[in-house]
Amino acid sequence: MIHGVALGIPWTLAVTAAAFLIGAALGLPLCAMRMSKLPPLRFIGLAYIILFRSIPPLLLVFFFFFGLGSGFLPISAFQGAVLGLGLITAANMAEIYRGALSAIHFGQWDASEALALPSYSTYIDIIAPQLIRVSLPSAASYAVGLLKESAIASTIGVTDISFNANYIAKSTYQGLTVFGIAALFYIMISLPIAALARFADQKLRARVAL
Amino acid sequence: MSDIAAFWLDSLPQLLAGLSISLQVTGAALAIGFPLGLLLALGVQSKVKAVKLPSLCLVEIGRGAPALVVLQFAYFGLPQGGLTLSAFAAAVFALAWNTGAYTSEIIRAGLESVPFGEIEAASAMGMLPRDTLRFVIIPQGLRVAAPALLGFAVAVLQATSLCFAIALPELTSNAYMIGTITFRYMEILSLAGILYAAICVPATIAVGVLEQRLGKHAL
Amino acid sequence: MNHIPDTVNLSRMHPVGEPDKPILRLEAIRKKFGEHVVLDDVNISLKSGEVVAIIGPSGSGKSTLLRCVNMLGPATSGRVVIGDLVIDEAVPPTAQQLTQLRRSVGMVFQSFNLFPHMSVLRNVSLPQERVLGRSRKDANKRSLELLARVGLEDKADQYPARCSGGQQQRIAIARALALEPQIMLFDEPTSALDPELGLEVLAVMQELARSGMTMLVVTHEMNFAETVSDRVIIMADGKIIEEGASREVIRNPTSDRAKRFLKAVKDR
Repeated sequence: MIHGVALGIPWTLAVTAAAFLIGAALGLPLCAMRMSKLPPLRFIGLAYIILFRSIPPLLLVFFFFFGLGSGFLPISAFQGAVLGLGLITAANMAEIYRGALSAIHFGQWDASEALALPSYSTYIDIIAPQLIRVSLPSAASYAVGLLKESAIASTIGVTDISFNANYIAKSTYQGLTVFGIAALFYIMISLPIAALARFADQKLRARVAL
Repeated sequence: MSDIAAFWLDSLPQLLAGLSISLQVTGAALAIGFPLGLLLALGVQSKVKAVKLPSLCLVEIGRGAPALVVLQFAYFGLPQGGLTLSAFAAAVFALAWNTGAYTSEIIRAGLESVPFGEIEAASAMGMLPRDTLRFVIIPQGLRVAAPALLGFAVAVLQATSLCFAIALPELTSNAYMIGTITFRYMEILSLAGILYAAICVPATIAVGVLEQRLGKHAL
Repeated sequence: MNHIPDTVNLSRMHPVGEPDKPILRLEAIRKKFGEHVVLDDVNISLKSGEVVAIIGPSGSGKSTLLRCVNMLGPATSGRVVIGDLVIDEAVPPTAQQLTQLRRSVGMVFQSFNLFPHMSVLRNVSLPQERVLGRSRKDANKRSLELLARVGLEDKADQYPARCSGGQQQRIAIARALALEPQIMLFDEPTSALDPELGLEVLAVMQELARSGMTMLVVTHEMNFAETVSDRVIIMADGKIIEEGASREVIRNPTSDRAKRFLKAVKDR
């Protein structure tokens, strides 16, 4: 029974990791749009963020898998889940980046300008390292949340922890035990993510003190 | 285009019926979950082990396990222990637990934001700890927590979509059902999305406004 | 100072007990944080109606001493005696002792510590209701009298955030007085205020002193210490290094440490 549920772990990890990477990458330009000086860009960024935080992840995943998948664009369950969760993650990561940016002292921009650093250097050498450092704790706790959110992939047939638990529960009528095991797996996976984030946070804190 | 409009109009009553159930589940889960969150916040800080440990367990499991798994646990799992819940009751059970676990952390942070000097002042005037809690700490703590609690309420409404997995005829389930019959998934899921957004977008904006207002009133 | 309305007769509002019997005695107060000695055998005795100012460099243990008096931060050893109430600092007091102590001793903090979510009136009334068991009506009546006494009855319905720092501190004084304490402790009550706002607080304290309240005041205000208080105590490194009549101590200190401190203050 434990083994059966455990078979889903790679899929749970794959959905979580893929959606997080998409979101972390897409979140950057989205954050830039959200903070842009051009009103239309700013509006699009804001609208995207509010909209994608307002629609239930399950519905969005359905939209891609059943909606897009029904004749428009052949899409696998895994792809549908990753796309849906990734786009929502992008909205949330954009807000995390924005929060981190506002935590970086404005003097850093002033100093970069006064030193006549070109703007790409300001971003890459000055701002980005601090941004990563400051947003790391929030990003890590978001990743832990995403791990649990990834369970919805099971509803469209991705054979993750939740899918296997559901399958075994229905065939053995031992739901209490099976779902208990599933919950334990999720908690056990989230512990090292949190620990890793704390470790990285301390390492970076030592190097990029704010 | 008018084809889509007609389809939406036809489907709307069923979706609204689903939305009504979504809102009922949300309301019930919050009505139980918020007070539970306050109790758990206090329980976790308790010095009495018999209170602290169970509180900690409820919080850690409620936060650590996916809401979907807790939901399936309540609906498919509890019968193994001799307790059979209706889909609605299971949904409220799971989401109230989820709400209690998460909001306990939000409320705890709120309670901890009350400046220590005020607690000290209350103590210096001979106020009992429970009076200090009731009149000084809780009212201010809840006020600080208010935006995050409203934000969580939005998350709970979204989480009701998970009840699809236990065949509760809420908004997402109903949209999916119409999809399976008509094969017009794209249109019907979009309409469901619009209905969710119609509630969640204003609420999300309200959270932002509330946060700003609260910032202004700080001493 | 003259904008504080003189609504109340200033003379002897607070009953004076037997004149020579001390109302408050601190006996052999010692406090250690680990190896570090913060208070070293401090003995202070206050007669009823006496106003004593404690001055000294920061880190000398003045505020720590004040917090030992009402057990907000108990000392390692020593005793606090207030009338019949004898508190051993080394032993956790009973709930009843603690309540009696806190009712007898009012405290005013550097950071005011008003409750920001309550109106000014509620701030002053709530402790009366919860600690003295007064009815809402009686408490409000008393609160309005006290707010009038500190010149702020028109602020009763405002929230603390709408009041200046000086006003907030005067409200905090009214709040402490509402429990009818025998002794008032002031922990640097003007340090967080602009000099001008500090003056209105000092005026209220002066009025309180003249009305016969027993006061123990930790302060940096040399003028207050010299002119309002009956006695001045200079503390340094957890010890009392000089004490006596205010004018004498401030004008003619005897120890080198006291001279150094007072010179530093004057030269600022």
